[in-house]
Amino acid sequence: MQTTLTSPLTAHSAAKTLSPSAHLSIDGVTKRFGSFTALDNIALQIQEGEFVCFLGPSGCGKTTLLRTIAGLAQQTAGSLIQRGKDISTLPPQARDFGIVFQSYALFPNLTVFDNVAYGLCNRRSDRTAIAARVAELLALVDLSGSEYKYPAALSGGQQQRVALARALATEPGLLLLDEPLSALDARVRGHLRHQIKALQARLGVTTIMVTHDQEEALTMADRIVVMNHGVIEQVGTPAEIYHQPASAFVASFIGTMNFLEVTAQANNHALLGTTLCPCLPHAYTQGQAAQLAIRPEAVALSASVGELSGDVMGIEFLGAFQRVSLRLNNTEQWLLADVPSRDSATLGLQLGQTLGVHLPADAARLYPAGSNQS
Amino acid sequence: MKATTFSATAAAPSLEALIRLIVLLAAVALLVFGLLFPLFAMLVKSLQDRSGDFIGLANFVQYFQTPALVNSIANSLRVALTTTVVVVGLAFLCAYGITRTCMPGKRLFRMLAILPILAPSLLPAISLVYLFGNQGFLSDLLAGHSIYGSIGIVMGMSFWIFPHALMLLTTALTNSDARLYEAAEALGTPKWRTFLTITLPGVRYGLISCLFVVFTLAITDFGVPKIIGGQFSVLATDVYRQVVGQQNFQMGAVVSVMLLMPAVLSFIVDRWIQKRQVAQLSARAVPWQPTPNPLRDWTFALLCYSVAGIILLVIGTAVYASLIQFWPYNLSFTLQHYTFQGLAGGGWGAWFNSLKLAFSVALVGTLVIFFNAWLIEKSEGYRPLRQGLHFMAMLPMAVPGMVLGLAYIFFFNQAGNPLNWLYGTMAILVLNTLVHFYTVCHLTSVTALKQLDPEFEAVGASLKVPFWTTFSRVTLPVSLPAVLDISVYLFVNAMTTVSAVVFLYNSDTRLASVAVLHLDEAGYFASAAAMAVLIFLTSLVVKLLHTALTHVLLNNAQRWRQAG
Repeated sequence: MQTTLTSPLTAHSAAKTLSPSAHLSIDGVTKRFGSFTALDNIALQIQEGEFVCFLGPSGCGKTTLLRTIAGLAQQTAGSLIQRGKDISTLPPQARDFGIVFQSYALFPNLTVFDNVAYGLCNRRSDRTAIAARVAELLALVDLSGSEYKYPAALSGGQQQRVALARALATEPGLLLLDEPLSALDARVRGHLRHQIKALQARLGVTTIMVTHDQEEALTMADRIVVMNHGVIEQVGTPAEIYHQPASAFVASFIGTMNFLEVTAQANNHALLGTTLCPCLPHAYTQGQAAQLAIRPEAVALSASVGELSGDVMGIEFLGAFQRVSLRLNNTEQWLLADVPSRDSATLGLQLGQTLGVHLPADAARLYPAGSNQS
Repeated sequence: MKATTFSATAAAPSLEALIRLIVLLAAVALLVFGLLFPLFAMLVKSLQDRSGDFIGLANFVQYFQTPALVNSIANSLRVALTTTVVVVGLAFLCAYGITRTCMPGKRLFRMLAILPILAPSLLPAISLVYLFGNQGFLSDLLAGHSIYGSIGIVMGMSFWIFPHALMLLTTALTNSDARLYEAAEALGTPKWRTFLTITLPGVRYGLISCLFVVFTLAITDFGVPKIIGGQFSVLATDVYRQVVGQQNFQMGAVVSVMLLMPAVLSFIVDRWIQKRQVAQLSARAVPWQPTPNPLRDWTFALLCYSVAGIILLVIGTAVYASLIQFWPYNLSFTLQHYTFQGLAGGGWGAWFNSLKLAFSVALVGTLVIFFNAWLIEKSEGYRPLRQGLHFMAMLPMAVPGMVLGLAYIFFFNQAGNPLNWLYGTMAILVLNTLVHFYTVCHLTSVTALKQLDPEFEAVGASLKVPFWTTFSRVTLPVSLPAVLDISVYLFVNAMTTVSAVVFLYNSDTRLASVAVLHLDEAGYFASAAAMAVLIFLTSLVVKLLHTALTHVLLNNAQRWRQAG
């Protein structure tokens, strides 16, 4: 789907339902540097108009995958199909994408106008068309009037937007963002997150963003690709990734997660110390060691001490809620629980107190023992 | 506006890749034909007899059985080592004064200290003859020793090499971390111990590197020993004597091999040190700022200005000698030595040739060397070719000028070499000079390129802009200060060099620096001084123009640099 900035704007969701076809198919992509495998047999489909985030710790291969898609790195094996065209061996010049780097890589000796027009001049369009197009793009990124400034005179956030305008100038089918926000301070980052997301939704351009910041990925992406050690751990919507992590790694990497050593029991239960806890359906055999994962906000605390209880060892004030660290009485294991500020008064929360602990079954998920190490 | 206006008409990628490969191969060819093949031809020559038959190491055996020749090895080592000690010691003190004290007039001193680089090494030798020669006005200071010989050589070389050492050591001493000094002070460490445990270890790599650079320059220099060496022969003058004096090319090749060895050795040591020097200074280091200390500051000021005074005295002597009738008998003012009429050497024609050479080398060399460095540093693929190119770019530093010049005779003057037509033209002088001074320019380019954002090329490619457009619109303009530095470096060296080109000029392409040599040989000392001063002034004017141009560029044309 080709979109111009002046064409009627389509809502992002509409763009997605209108063209469910795959924009990019990645199949069996492997990249080795000597004996080190940076990407191991990656397979992924990216839909037309979708905003996808590659998320993972540093060294997980996400940037290598992005550079492979751009043609800046050549895969050792595997193929890339963009809109039905095999681009596996094409150089970057022959591929259809725009890219924004973490450093922005703005040309310091060219004005904002010349930076944005850089890819347009090459197409020998006439000057007025170029000027109109640049004006349009700068309006799009809220930088009208900065045409004749040099990059060094702009703030980090402004430079970032110029880089975005430059990448969009040639109307690429695919927009690649390589950690575009990580060089900015927190306030600007939050603001730009919205801007980029809104812009992407307006233009409906298929976008891939690499980030190590889970918050960024959760707030911006339609789908998140969680990567670790050169393999894809999970692909899913932000809600799926957060609530149904496919592996202990994903569970520990996204958000905060408690891991408790348990023994699996039949009928979807787990034995925590001497307490039998119900949990989500699992496939472990009776007596097999496992770990039970539960988010701090899912843990329920009560003043009445039941079968499972813990001593309050620390209270961390985090504004909207308080994070309580407890030592479970029957196993000596540690547990974090988030208590909303208004509930802490009813509980009479204080250090040394013993509280009843309830682990809701629909939030307790089992993972193989010792597997959450990234 | 229709979307089709900007629809992708991607340049055929294969064409761009092909052009990239062709220029890369051309760059490799340049250094293979301009450096490797000539050196190889020279090595082969050293193993042949006069009729060109292979005789193994017989020439070397003969060399070591000829005391007059073998003595030169010891002579060369002696003067080179003495010069190294003198120059590095003095330059270290001066660099310390510049970087670690509050001595007054630092900028003026640095400007004066650079002056010797602008003159051919023949100039200090000529001045020394006027100062300390048989009729010199300071001869008594030598207490009966003759200036002709090792004393004169060491003095002349020290003058000429001093700026190189000063620049290296100033750079090394500038990189200091104030936090270490503050820690030492907080622990109550005495000053001398701070110097031994922090300052010296901090500059050790720079210092060792400087020692080898100075040693190499000293052992390979030809100008100074040629003018003032008298009967004291060194390796560089032996090459000249064998080839030009006795037409014994085989023995010239043998001496060249001998001369190549210390240079190659110091090249290897220097490379080894450079590799170890990586990131000695962390990015968070805080530069150390000296605080005033009148006694120390004035002591260093006195020392530095004594050095500057000597530099001015030496240059002033050459200027004075070129402007008086006949030392020491007729001291009246005259410009007649600047007419060069009816004298050996080619006169003003030689000066014009030198100018032509210097401008050509500056223009061609800068573009070629910078572009090649870009190919090595910023392009993808053909890794072995790019690494090979980088290695060959580092090699000229280890090849003395005399050796390179002689190697060119052997290679280009060979019967049957299709490049034979180059011999005796201005083109071969340009090629030779370009290759001779390649390494420093290459390193300057690489340093400048490494400071650029590594993604410029990727952005250009993603916007379907061919690589040469990004090179000319972004990379080159952004690196302009470095490019200008390279061009002025090449200009000055092309103007002042004598060692390599002394074998390669012909009657149409005589050069000013060679003219100094011939005027001196023929006994026209005042005219030799005049020609040397002329070279010095030309370099000085170009250097000043360069400074002004850089200033203007950084202030106006490159407004973007201060946009922040």
